[in-house]
Amino acid sequence: METAALIVVLVIVLALFFDFTNGFHDTANAMATPIATGALKPKVAVLLAAVLNLVGAFLSTEVSKTISHGIIREESISAEVFPSIIFAGLIGAITWNMFTWLLGLPSSSSHALFGGLIGATFVGVGLLAVDFGVVMSKVILPALIAPLTAGIIAFTVTKLAYAMTRRYDNKPDGRSGFRWGQIFTSSLVALAHGTNDAQKTMGVITLALITVGWQNAEHADPQMWVIIACAVTIAVGTYSGGWRIIRTLGKGLTSVKPAQGFAAETSTAATILSSSALGFALSTTQVASGSVIGSGLGRRGSKVRWGTVGRIFVGWVLTLPAAGAVGAVAAWIVVALPGWGILIDFVLAVVIVVAIFVRSRRHEVNSSNAMSDVAESGTAVKVKRNPPPTRRQRQILREEARVKAEIERQVAKAAAKERALAKEKARHTAELEHAAQRAQRKKDRAKGKPHTLTRPEPGSPLDGPPPAAQPRRDEEDAR
Amino acid sequence: MSIEWIAFLEVFVAAMLGAIAVVFFYALALRLLVRAGAVPVVAPAEFTDAITVITPREAKRAAAAAAKAARKNPLTPLQRRIALWGAYASFGLCAVAVLGGIVLIVTF
Repeated sequence: METAALIVVLVIVLALFFDFTNGFHDTANAMATPIATGALKPKVAVLLAAVLNLVGAFLSTEVSKTISHGIIREESISAEVFPSIIFAGLIGAITWNMFTWLLGLPSSSSHALFGGLIGATFVGVGLLAVDFGVVMSKVILPALIAPLTAGIIAFTVTKLAYAMTRRYDNKPDGRSGFRWGQIFTSSLVALAHGTNDAQKTMGVITLALITVGWQNAEHADPQMWVIIACAVTIAVGTYSGGWRIIRTLGKGLTSVKPAQGFAAETSTAATILSSSALGFALSTTQVASGSVIGSGLGRRGSKVRWGTVGRIFVGWVLTLPAAGAVGAVAAWIVVALPGWGILIDFVLAVVIVVAIFVRSRRHEVNSSNAMSDVAESGTAVKVKRNPPPTRRQRQILREEARVKAEIERQVAKAAAKERALAKEKARHTAELEHAAQRAQRKKDRAKGKPHTLTRPEPGSPLDGPPPAAQPRRDEEDAR
Repeated sequence: MSIEWIAFLEVFVAAMLGAIAVVFFYALALRLLVRAGAVPVVAPAEFTDAITVITPREAKRAAAAAAKAARKNPLTPLQRRIALWGAYASFGLCAVAVLGGIVLIVTF
């Protein structure tokens, strides 16, 4: 019993360390977009994320129940073996989390945890100890559906945000005001992260407590001290880091505009919060990435870079089996070397974590050069600098062209009329002159003066009648 | 293996409605602020290397353009006041939507 108690204490310590790395790893999910658009200073953003993760951890316990009372059939595992299995699973999760953190790879802390637990249970106890129905309905399907859901919602609300603030008279549209909104939506994402991710650790600790009989299996709710410990640890983890992840994420988010960031965060927060209420253990990284891609597509003239999307997707898909493999190895050591196995696992995990930490210090990342991993998603959508016009803008352009053409037609018509008038006037003047000449000639003839007829100048309005007509008129005049 | 497909639909509908409510009221508030002649010009809090959205000079120019647009506002003072109060009310409704969502989750 004393050994079991020692192992449970080790499990709690390790679970809290996982919680810390979870906060460390996922700071970016909430804060990459507001940092990228300049809504918040990086230091303020991380502090805010830490405080709201702490608050969020107290809001709901549905996800923790999914972990502590669903994925693994605790009744089919003996109390002596179970804490060691959880321990091995946690080692798998932490090692994979630290490894992806070092490389700046897109990964999910939640899936690392599930992968580690499932892999360790599979090797340490057997296939039947894992409830694949719950795994499918509460882990795998939400993992596939949630990013898609977040993407569709982000796409819709981005369109809505742009449509409602669009102006057609080229006057200021006030969209930079979405930066204020981003402070609240990113806070909401941090809160949502607390409600979902902190609970995963609570679930693991509760599971360990149930297996050794320190908590009644009928009441799978986490105890208050567990909630407080997990909330504080995830908050500390969030505050102390994530700079490395934020760096890779933010660099890819250079083209994110405030309206888009606001829409993406609203979608992320809404998806995580509603999922938490129903006990779905989501990956907040995947939801945030889905939202960033969806909101990018919601802007006009955007195009998906399928290569980048594929790379992100492969990263996600790999997390569960990779963490599962590490968890399985750790569980095999525990099973193969009873007693010593736990110690060896522990020492190996400490060595790996310290080595990764020391390695990461070579390229220190802090608030001055931090930017982020959801960034990978930002680069998955290409947005044109000059987007094509909307339907209404096209209508306005067509209307402008029509008015311009109408004005040109009117001007041309007026000019032609003026020309015709001038021609008529000239013809009238010429006729008058000619009539005057004829009258003068008659007068002269009556007086007996000789007279020569002046022909109209070529091109004048009177220069047209057939030359044959002229002598006949002269003859008549003569008669 | 029983999969609760309805639960996925519930998550989708609840998240969609919540997100639409928040974005609608916030965007409406901004639109009304612009109509009231109080165009918000919010420069980035810090210019990290990631930001290419707006430079300080662009922010100044945007503020000047906003002031010019406010001077040429075609609305009467009463209409402006109504638009401004409408904007504040929309911001309030947006906050209510967020708080309502959180309360629902806590009490669910």
